[in-house]
Amino acid sequence: MTAITDRQKLAYIAGQAADARVNIELETEGMTLNMGPQHPATHGTLRIVAKLDGEQVIAADPIMGYMHRGYEKLAEVRTYAQVTTLVNRIDWLGSFANEVPFILASEQLMGIEAPPRAQWIRTLLFELSRVANIILFLGDMAVQLGALTPVFFAFRDREHVLNQIESATGGRFHPNFDRIGGIKDDLPKGWLAETKATMANVRKFCDEMEELVMGSQIFEARTRGIGVIPPDVAQQYGLSGANLRASGVDWDIRRDNNIGLVYDKLDWKVWTHTDGDSFARFWVRMQETREACNMIEQLCDGVPSGPIMAKVPRIIKVPAGEAFVSTENPLGEMGYYIVSQGDLTPFRVKIRTASFNNVSITPWILRGVYVPDIITILASLYFILGDIDR
Amino acid sequence: MAIPKPKLPGFLQGMAVTARTAKETMFPDGMKNPIPQPSKGAATVQYPHVKEAPAPRARGVISLQEDNCTSCMLCARECPDWCIYIEAHKTLAPPRRAGGKPRSVNTLDRFDIDYSLCMYCGICVEVCPFEALYWSPEYEYSEVRIADLLHDKERLGEWFETVPEFEPYEAGSEAKQKKVSRKEAK
Repeated sequence: MTAITDRQKLAYIAGQAADARVNIELETEGMTLNMGPQHPATHGTLRIVAKLDGEQVIAADPIMGYMHRGYEKLAEVRTYAQVTTLVNRIDWLGSFANEVPFILASEQLMGIEAPPRAQWIRTLLFELSRVANIILFLGDMAVQLGALTPVFFAFRDREHVLNQIESATGGRFHPNFDRIGGIKDDLPKGWLAETKATMANVRKFCDEMEELVMGSQIFEARTRGIGVIPPDVAQQYGLSGANLRASGVDWDIRRDNNIGLVYDKLDWKVWTHTDGDSFARFWVRMQETREACNMIEQLCDGVPSGPIMAKVPRIIKVPAGEAFVSTENPLGEMGYYIVSQGDLTPFRVKIRTASFNNVSITPWILRGVYVPDIITILASLYFILGDIDR
Repeated sequence: MAIPKPKLPGFLQGMAVTARTAKETMFPDGMKNPIPQPSKGAATVQYPHVKEAPAPRARGVISLQEDNCTSCMLCARECPDWCIYIEAHKTLAPPRRAGGKPRSVNTLDRFDIDYSLCMYCGICVEVCPFEALYWSPEYEYSEVRIADLLHDKERLGEWFETVPEFEPYEAGSEAKQKKVSRKEAK
């Protein structure tokens, strides 16, 4: 077992104590608090059923499925080009990132590889959607603590990033830009320079956020030592992305298992934090936004010339076989397991989304915390309901 | 031993950021010209009076160039939610060269796109082999009744006037520059 900090130990003991109390005082009447499915503080229709003992939570259950749209089943009756439009809607804040693993898995089955220019542009848009996604988290986290200003800043500065995505792909939220064998279209003239200017804007936003939120004593008091996830627990629950890295586990698919994207050609680092609390999750995401700005600037400088499409048949029939490809999406590991029987449509698509696992830890993490902390812990775990229910 | 500087409390620092932003919004020209201009400094625009121009590539509304359509039904078949309705009949057109046989061509009777179903994926525009469909960045076509969102071929043809030219590509691109096939003025 890895060494855990005192703070994590205390949280663990508090959780154990809460467990013990359930077993001893079964006759005492607690209170069941339903949060959601339509609670303003849960982003979407997630319902948390919390059993309370006074102000303390003794058990909490997440109930999902209120927004189930059946994408895995819908994908079975749609061609590969049409599935891309569907998977845009899974994590709607970073939608381009949803397309990439699906396309990469299909490309793996077909045995083709996108030309280098397409790979660079793909990575560029992938990181842009990460920035657009996490900017909103940085503002939203503060809103859950009662600070209203940061979220307006976040929406203001996310707009510049979305404008860049729109001028390249045509869609602000649903780019539908990735194709098997490459990308749909080349970049418009002057786009790379504009993107670099936008990144300067995002950096300024991060600095502002650091002054506005992270320096604040109120923020520290509400997040430091709250919702601590020890690294071994995080791994057992299958957390991924910034939630895992905030617990001190140095694991990033972009670096460790990079398929089809050009992260190995960039100079960047993976940020981790040892605390594993809400503050650490906020901090790691902020550093990741800055790192993504770094990467985008390098990507803008390095886009090679060349074609953007490999040779692909006009009617795409994927040969029979199975493939699983996962990428490091803004929320964590997202992967598609595609089973093909050589038809126009996939035979089965299993979608592994990050938020489902990230939210599965709530029964463990919410044990023994106080009611107002439920909101901050859920906000810091950062899930998107479309990503949970898909 | 150096005495550490008294640190500004964090929340005061945060309020300074808010105040700075408020100042920049009220006085976008700086303090040399201290006339409050909140509408100039604001990040938003006053929508019905001021309009933002969307990017030329923005997928706003699909326009139809009716002369180019051969009613091949490719778009209607590829549409993920089947919101394109096409009906056509065959007519005889005069021969291309004198003395030739009359050609049989498809004439569109109906080309409707139901924008209440459309998910703006752009597959129809992409699969059209005859350059009959184009994206226009226009966005102001909301309706009171949902049935009015069904645009017929005349309405779709009107959108064609708003189609912008394709932008040139970024340096290093090998993609062929696309062109909008506009009708010559008669």
